[in-house]
Amino acid sequence: MTFNKVLIANRGEIAVRIIRACRELGLKTVAVYSDADRRALHVRYASEAYHIGPPPSSESYLRMEKLIDVARKSGAEAIHPGYGFLAERAEFAQLCADEGITFIGPPPSAITRMGDKGMARKIMMDAGVPVVPGTPGDKKLGNDELIRAAEKIGFPLLVKASAGGGGKGMRTVRSSEELPAAIESARREAKSAFGDDNVYLERLVEGARHIEIQILADAEGNVIHLGERECSIQRRHQKLLEESPSPFVDDDEEFRQKMGAVGVLAARAVDYVNAGTIECLVDKDKNFYFLEMNTRLQVEHPVTELVTGIDIVTEQLRIARGRALGYTQNDVKLRGWAIECRVNAEDPYNNFMPSTGYLNKHAVPTGPGVRVDTGIDTGATISPYYDPMISKVIVWGETRAQAILRMRRALDEYKILGVLTNIPFHQNLLSQHRFMAGNFDTKFVEERFSMEEAEESRDTFPEIAAILATLAAHRQTERAAHIIQRGKRDTSNWKWVGRYERMHR
Amino acid sequence: MNQRYVTTIGEHQYAVELLKDNKVRVDGQVYSVDYEAMTGQQLVSLVVDGHSFDCHVYQDEDNWHVLMRGRLYTAEVVDEREMRLRAAAGEGHDDSGLFILKAPMPGLVVNVPVKPGDQVKKGDVLVILESMKMQNELKAPRDGLVTAVDVNAGDSVEQKQVMLSLE
Repeated sequence: MTFNKVLIANRGEIAVRIIRACRELGLKTVAVYSDADRRALHVRYASEAYHIGPPPSSESYLRMEKLIDVARKSGAEAIHPGYGFLAERAEFAQLCADEGITFIGPPPSAITRMGDKGMARKIMMDAGVPVVPGTPGDKKLGNDELIRAAEKIGFPLLVKASAGGGGKGMRTVRSSEELPAAIESARREAKSAFGDDNVYLERLVEGARHIEIQILADAEGNVIHLGERECSIQRRHQKLLEESPSPFVDDDEEFRQKMGAVGVLAARAVDYVNAGTIECLVDKDKNFYFLEMNTRLQVEHPVTELVTGIDIVTEQLRIARGRALGYTQNDVKLRGWAIECRVNAEDPYNNFMPSTGYLNKHAVPTGPGVRVDTGIDTGATISPYYDPMISKVIVWGETRAQAILRMRRALDEYKILGVLTNIPFHQNLLSQHRFMAGNFDTKFVEERFSMEEAEESRDTFPEIAAILATLAAHRQTERAAHIIQRGKRDTSNWKWVGRYERMHR
Repeated sequence: MNQRYVTTIGEHQYAVELLKDNKVRVDGQVYSVDYEAMTGQQLVSLVVDGHSFDCHVYQDEDNWHVLMRGRLYTAEVVDEREMRLRAAAGEGHDDSGLFILKAPMPGLVVNVPVKPGDQVKKGDVLVILESMKMQNELKAPRDGLVTAVDVNAGDSVEQKQVMLSLE
């Protein structure tokens, strides 16, 4: 199981993150890249790099046989899938195993059992892990059976696709009249998105928070949790800001350990190995329910790293090499507070419309307590082919208040030119009273937040902006006039070119 | 000769006058302004009477945008001569006339739920464009009649490519 060279089957910030951990352990690294990523940092930081195809991920990062080929050619004995792409495809983990390559992640069986949400729900119920009340999920119930079951569950409820993810094949139903149509449309969407139209019902937990538990498990059967992450700040099921600990759990150590123990139980139920995350819904009375397990490294893993001091990617590599965990549950203590903001190339003033273009400046914030994970450098192009994340800004503070102030400071320093970003969204969010008070649920951004209202409560400098805009416009007019005058050189342009070429010979 | 501009931010029109020695007069008040362009003219360090502002300034077709201390200001800058010309022409904002929908970013057309001859209402979806794995609904800015549809589902479009016209 030991290996000295790791292929990273991913791109962007997470590929860089994994390469960093490998290099710190003295492991050789192999990057792969599409035509769109030749200039990316992961290519430059790896010890080897191989081109795997055109920009669309279906022709590059998702091509299992190409990745296996590169592993063979380069002699990589292990593959880290990162997140997204092939990270949760049991088929890929199995293919690696068949080829004698170590897959840095859970065994294929654990991916399969947690990958089907309906099946996972059944396994969790049997293991004594609390799930949201509803139908079991492993049985293929017909419409009539679902409608009968709905009366017992009560409204409002959710229709969810067994094979689902990312909000696809999901419907909120407020009354029994809406149910038949909702089941039908959820089935249609699930069929087209996942090729499987099985759905189950779940009571809608109102005012719920999304809190998740980080798990580490080794091949010897040791399973520990690294506390929780608060991920309720999201929009269209995309997380935007995460923190650890959760302000809702805060210093309730008993509640933390209770959730953590259930997370460990859930991981054991599928014989989990490596790093994984148990996502939970938590209601206002601190009832919590298993939602799903992400059988991979998460985007937001750094907030846990900053408060526990544990390098999760290093632990993943250790576990994959067959070593025992470097920590016991008693070693895990949360210290201080960490917040992560996902910086995306999207326009928060225009319905978060994606923004693409050439980055002529990418100056990341630094200074005490600030970490920036990115795969993009000045001179890169944000293309429409991949997700819009430019970077993650992660800060640590003694207290939540200090972390918030530090994040505001860091975002003020951050300069990205060439594309529009959601940094103003984060800055507005971080100065909202409800956010500062930790008083929010998963609907907060969509239902109770607007850029306009958030800006009203902040200092404003319209005169300064007027001066700046006017001077910028004035200078541009002057430059334009200057360029027109260039034709008035005292010598011919041919002579000019000759002189220029002699000078640069 | 002093340069005079009228700069509009939100509802307010600022009379901005560029004076000698880096002085700027805004609505009668004089400021001492030090303007230092840092990168490609877009990143500007502005010091106004000793107050430092680290700003991002950029332009689109009609407006200047200033991103400053976590806040976006959109400004229309018009010089005095142009202002007079406009007043003379009696330009007004008119909701009739042609609206041309251009692709706000490169992407793939997923669906065009309207066809030429359709009457649409403000807010109706005209084109669904997929970019960066997200589907974006491009909506009608006002009521109108679809006069031309230049793209079909499945087409790849470049940024600013004309997709549809509304009258």
